[in-house]
Amino acid sequence: MEMTVLIGLDAASYILTLLLVCIGLVIIFGMMNVVNLAHGEFFLLGAYTVVLLQQYALPFAVILLIAFVVVALVGLVIEELVIRRIYHRFLDTILATWGISLALKQLVIVLFGPGSQQAVAPFAEPVAMFGITYSSYRLFVMGMAILITAATFFILFRTRVGLTARGVIANRQMAACLGVNTRRVDRLTFAFGSGLAGLAGAIMAPLMSVDPQMGVGFLVPAFLSVLVGGTASPLGALWGAGIIGGSNSVVAAIWTPVVAQIAVFSIAIVVIRLWPGGVTGKRKR
Amino acid sequence: MSGYSRQLTVLFWAALIASPLFLDGWNLGLLSQLMIYGIFALSLAFIWGQGGLLCFGQSLFFGLGAYAMALTTKDMIPGIPATTLTGLGLAVILPAVVAGLLGLALFKGRGLYGAYFGIVTLSAAVIAERLAINWSYIGGFNGLLDIPPLRVGWGSWQTELYDPLPFFFVVLVAALGIYLLLLRLERSAFGTVLRGIRDNETRATFLGFETAEYKAAAFAVSGAIAGLAGALFAVQFAFVSPAILGFALATEVLIWVAIGGKTVLLAAFIGAVAVKSVENVLSDTLGQYWLLVLGLLFVVAVVLMPRGLLAPFLQLPLPRALRLSGSKEE
Repeated sequence: MEMTVLIGLDAASYILTLLLVCIGLVIIFGMMNVVNLAHGEFFLLGAYTVVLLQQYALPFAVILLIAFVVVALVGLVIEELVIRRIYHRFLDTILATWGISLALKQLVIVLFGPGSQQAVAPFAEPVAMFGITYSSYRLFVMGMAILITAATFFILFRTRVGLTARGVIANRQMAACLGVNTRRVDRLTFAFGSGLAGLAGAIMAPLMSVDPQMGVGFLVPAFLSVLVGGTASPLGALWGAGIIGGSNSVVAAIWTPVVAQIAVFSIAIVVIRLWPGGVTGKRKR
Repeated sequence: MSGYSRQLTVLFWAALIASPLFLDGWNLGLLSQLMIYGIFALSLAFIWGQGGLLCFGQSLFFGLGAYAMALTTKDMIPGIPATTLTGLGLAVILPAVVAGLLGLALFKGRGLYGAYFGIVTLSAAVIAERLAINWSYIGGFNGLLDIPPLRVGWGSWQTELYDPLPFFFVVLVAALGIYLLLLRLERSAFGTVLRGIRDNETRATFLGFETAEYKAAAFAVSGAIAGLAGALFAVQFAFVSPAILGFALATEVLIWVAIGGKTVLLAAFIGAVAVKSVENVLSDTLGQYWLLVLGLLFVVAVVLMPRGLLAPFLQLPLPRALRLSGSKEE
């Protein structure tokens, strides 16, 4: 019984962590049609912001907010310098963002060194529940993932800004004709997606060793989640993270993490092949 | 398009052939290594530049070739004699088969395209790397050491190519041979169809071409060549490790080809040679800043010069059969 609860909690924790990383990715990929391979580095920048700011004894909530803003600004600059020139060249977005990812990662190595840093969790007391004890910070991360996802959906589907953004995505010319400044929307959307990646990195930082390679480990599972879930709607991220994260945790508990990763990645490829639109996608080509 | 592209192409190969006159053994070894990367870049340039398939996992085939060569020549595959020839053969056939089957599986029917193909091939390379790390028979994380050098000759007269000079000529013959083969293929009807698919797949389908099979065939050719490069790499370093299957090398080769120019084979080849040799020189002086510079250079090349830095100078004139159409050269 305890074992089941523990596996269940671990699975939920992994799924929600993945969701946290995916939500920014799916906004940029699904809504802007930009394959952002630098997403892992935005995540990384968020984590390093935490390491840097914790030296000044700021409250953790403020640090998270600053991490979001800092990475959103980085995203804004990158959008203005690079991405806006290649919106119409879908494949080139992969290459350009890969170059950005390489440069950002190396910049972090130049500034902070290649070694790993430690971010301190603001609280870490284990909590007893359902007959087991579980790290309270992990529970906090899970709660934050749900909160951030809910907030993102609220902004996208219940506010005027979100409506405008979805309008631009659905029909750019029509939105422009109705007086929407589409450039401004592009900028905001990209910055928002980047900021979410930074926030995810900041929240995850105390749970991981903060080193320049930390973003890469999330990149492949996150992209597979987005593709499996489908890019047509941000809802796909929920499905994708659930499927990839859930199956990964369960297989890892039964066999080993390595088997889990190999098996889940392979199955994800098959799923993407059979349903290129993702499990939430419409049947269209 | 430069009017001197043909002369430049011939001059480049002539310089390579003459290079043993000027270089000592150490630098010849270095040049062989660069040419092996060049062959690898050719394999990607063919599939990406001609076929329009952005393969993010080309290292998968490079690594497969390297491991096939290593395992065969170390006599670790039961039933296959441990000779150079069988090793090279397996190193070409195995990746070709894997690439062909993967291609058919991905392209048949409502196939994958564009970024999806890139992410799937990237994941495939990551899976292969993980597998190799955890498969102790093929050396696991440490890889395989003591891979024997190339052995040439027949019967009682056999010799091993230890010296840099003969190995250099083996690599040079391979590079030139593959270049000419791919150039021939690019300028054949097959290459024309491939470019047709690249530019507009729906149109190619309506013209009656089985686009999935064309793409899978091109992918198999590309896999075979990457495998051969991998085999030569394994021999030169006498060492293979899971890292050559994975992410890092796969993206490195993309950078070489993108900077050189994906649509022109020689530009991609020189792109690999140039980036790698600049890296050898500059990584000492620039240190950590080298990768930063390379990353930014790559972004600039992709955004501002999507054809690559060298391609405009090395673009060969179209074959005569294609010139009559009056279409402008791409």
